[in-house]
This record gives sequence, C-alpha cells and structure tokens, in this order.
Amino acid sequence: MRTIFKIALGIIAAIGGFLDIGDLVFNTQAGALYRYDLLWAVVLGTIGIAVYAEMSGRVAAVSNRPVFDAIRMRMGFGLGLVALVASTFVNVLTVAAELGGLAIILQLLFDGPFSLFVVIALLSVVVIVALLPFGGIERLFGYGGLLMLVFVATAIDQSPDWGEVAQGFVPSFSNSTLYLYFVVGVFAAALMPYEVHFYSSGAIEEGWDEKSLKENRLNAVIGYGLGGILACALVVVSGFLFHPLGVQPNDLGTVALPVQGAFGETGLLLALAGMLFCVGGATIDSSFAASYNLAQFLGWEWGRYRGPRKAPRFTFSWLVFLFLAMLIVLSGINPVEITEYSVVFSVVALPLTYLPILLIGGDPSFMGEHANGRISATLGWVYFGVIVILALAAIPLLLMTNGGGG
Amino acid sequence: MRSGRLGRRVAAAALAAVLLAISGCGDLSRDELNRGVESLSALAAQGELVASGVARDATKSTYARVMAKTLGGEAEHEAEKLADAEPSPEVRAERHAAVRIAGELAELFSQLQTFPGDERHGALVEKHMGEVKEQADAVVARLTGEAP
Repeated sequence: MRTIFKIALGIIAAIGGFLDIGDLVFNTQAGALYRYDLLWAVVLGTIGIAVYAEMSGRVAAVSNRPVFDAIRMRMGFGLGLVALVASTFVNVLTVAAELGGLAIILQLLFDGPFSLFVVIALLSVVVIVALLPFGGIERLFGYGGLLMLVFVATAIDQSPDWGEVAQGFVPSFSNSTLYLYFVVGVFAAALMPYEVHFYSSGAIEEGWDEKSLKENRLNAVIGYGLGGILACALVVVSGFLFHPLGVQPNDLGTVALPVQGAFGETGLLLALAGMLFCVGGATIDSSFAASYNLAQFLGWEWGRYRGPRKAPRFTFSWLVFLFLAMLIVLSGINPVEITEYSVVFSVVALPLTYLPILLIGGDPSFMGEHANGRISATLGWVYFGVIVILALAAIPLLLMTNGGGG
Repeated sequence: MRSGRLGRRVAAAALAAVLLAISGCGDLSRDELNRGVESLSALAAQGELVASGVARDATKSTYARVMAKTLGGEAEHEAEKLADAEPSPEVRAERHAAVRIAGELAELFSQLQTFPGDERHGALVEKHMGEVKEQADAVVARLTGEAP
C-alpha cells in the first residue's frame, strides 16, 4: 500500500512538474499560429522525454550514477567539458527565463515594479529550498502544478470540433520555415536537457535503487504522459480562441486569457497559480540541474540531501547560477525572448546529453539485466536520430524566422 | 597600395550596409507595413479579450492593469516604428492609417490601465477595441489586395 502511495505521489509530481515557461510559450504560440496542427509535435516530444527520463532514472537507480557522471565516463574529459559548457550555458539561460517568468506571474497577481518581483522570486526560491527537504520541494511544485488542469477543463468547456483536434495528432509538414521552427520549438520545449539532468540526480537524492525501477517507469510513462495532456490542452485552448482572432501571444499573461474567458476570475486565478507553481518548480529544477552538472563533472560533493555544510561548493554554485540568472533578467531582456533562445539553443545541446544516456543504458556490462530492452533501444535510437536532425536545423531556423517573428 | 584602398572601400561599403540594416532605414515596404498592421490587429484582439473580462467583472484588476500596460507599451512601440519609417509612395495613405490606429490602441490600453475594475469603462473599451481591430483588418485587406 505504501509503495502504491509513493508511486502515485511520484506520478502526480511528474504531471505537475512537466510544464515550464518554454512549454507555456511555445505551445500557446503554436496553437495561435497553426491551430491544432502541431499537436503531433507535442506528443512526439512527450514520448521522447518519457523514454529518456526512464532511461536516465534507470541508469541512476542501477549504477548510482547521474547523467553528468555518465557523460564524463563515456565521453572523456575533453568532450565532457564541451557538454558541460554547452549545458551550463543553456541551463543558465533557462533559469533566467524561468525566474523572469516567475516575476511576470507575480506581477500579474500583485502588480508592482518588475525588478522588485524578480528579487522577490529569487528570494522565495532560496527560502523554499532552504526550508523544505528534496521530496517536499518536488511535491509542493508538483501538486501546485496540477492547477494547470484548469486548461484541460477550459478545452472541454470550449467544445472545439474534436474531429479537427484529432487530426492535429497526425504528423503534417509544410515548406514554411516558421512552421518548421515551431515544430523544433514545441519538440525541444518538452525535451529540455535540464529535465533529465534533474530527474536522474533527483533519483539519487531520493536514494533510488533497483527496487525503484517500477516507480521510475510509472513516473516516466504515466507522469510525463499526463503532463503531455496538459501541454496539448495549452495548444487546443489557444488554437480555439486565438487562432481565429489572429492573436500573437508574445506575453506570458496572454497564456491565461482563454481560462478567464471560460471561467472568469476564479479560472484566471487558478491558471495563474498553476503557472506560478510550474514555472517556480522549473526555476528550482533548472538551477539545481546547472549545479548538479558542474559538481558531478568536477567530482564535488553534491546533493540537497547533504546540505550546505557537506556540499558547500554545490550550494555556492547553485546560488551563483541563480544570481547570474537574476542579472540576465534585470538587464531588461524580455523573459519570453530569453525562453525562445534557451529552448532553441537547448536543441543544439541535446545530442551531448542524450547520447551518453543511450550508450550506458544499453550497455549490459554496466547495467546487467536492466540494460535497454528492444523497445527502449529502438525508441532511444530513433529519438536520437530526430534530435540530431533538429539540432542541425535549430539555429538556421532561428535565424531564418527572425526568432519566430516570421 | 591600390588593393589596400579598394579593400578599405569594400569594408566601408559593407559597414554602411550593415548600419543601414541595423538602423532599419530605407523605405517601409508593403510587406513590412502589412506585418506591422497585423500586429496591431492582434493587439486589439487581445485588448478586446482583456476588456471583456473587465466589462463582465470576470478578471482580476491587477491582471487587467498589467496586461493593459504591457500591450499598450507594444502598441506605442509599433506606433513609433511606423511613424519613424519612410513609407514607399504607394503605401503612404495606409501608413498614415496604421499610425493613427496604433495611437488609438495605445490610448485605449491607457484607459484600461487606469480603470481596470470599472465595468462600464471596460465595456466601452471592449467595443472600441473591436472597432479598431476592424479598421486594422481593413488596412491589411487593402495592403494585400483583398479589399472589395
């Protein structure tokens, strides 16, 4: 009974923790521009993150090695360093985007100077991490993120043409570079590297071992799967309301407008609170991921469970990354723009993150009987192929579409 | 010596081209103007939705105020961009209409920002936003040749 309860908690945390500012921005913009046509890309990204999260969680549980340990072991110091620099750059950009998003949502709720809310957001994150244990942090933001279910309720309330919605799940391609840019964006937003860095390190923080493999599989498949439903709901509500009106959702506040239309002030508050928890959780996840990577690569003591005294360099680097992110946001760059750049640049770093997981996960001499089976291996390699293609296309598409501006 | 002078000239020409591109100078083309007016139409549509929440007392005033401020800032920015650009002769009239629309939008957002909890004002702004959107769509139709 206790195990079932634990699994349920993990799944709930995964659902609520799936969405971040990248998903909010790209999925809403995708719906506004292409109605339901990009739903297939959301599903593709969701399956991808579930496959690689399961694999990285399994590697961590069996070998007690998180992703960056694996990267250094498989790639050696030189290539590992390239991966570290690339992922740190992307992670800091992501932390900045999430922190800026957090400040925007606080501003929408309480009104006041943006820079003040940036500082409040940063201090809140530091206090929450200082006060709560690792599992508590995960659950707080995971459960809070469930408020995003109000977007599913909005989609149902809007009563779109469900046949048209279903058609969106069938992959379609277009010659338009903007369409291709959004395929990359929606896919990459689901597969941000920090998600697996955090997931695998979190597995070690929570003391997973071989007995946790069932929990890992259910968390990855059901948790991310249901999280994918929330992401699809964002596309649907935006496609239904914004597409016919020609709205271009360039602001985070616009994401909540369809819910206000359906359920008034209560709905709006639930949507903003859900977004607050999702983006807040992602701020912590991405900042932790940056410090996990650095500490694991350099062989420092790491982990929230060790505390600042036993892992001082890990804790200090976490504070430095948060501070750097705050400086980026306070420089005046729009957090939504930072989000777009962080998502697109993350695509370029994806192969460096996912290849070592795939190689180690499939190595029987390392994983024993828990090495990738036929389904995991096939899905893993197919996705790796997709990732490489998108990594090559991402920057040219970013430039050709003027950062998605058309 | 001669090739050095030529090199400097090429470099100067390249620099001028880059500066021109960065500064956004040059004639405002039909396509650029069309994109600008489409952005205004999109802003008006968002404004209509925000104002509808205010009119129905179905929003939070802080949300309405911050959204109005953000969207109003975007409308002002668009107005400045359009006003600064030198239009090509065939789109001069449409450019003038676009600047006027952007100004009206900025004014409506300013009203919404000042009265985010006033339902009567909200209803008025909602109505005007709808009218401004129609005007913007009409300009787009003229620019794309879809006007009757």
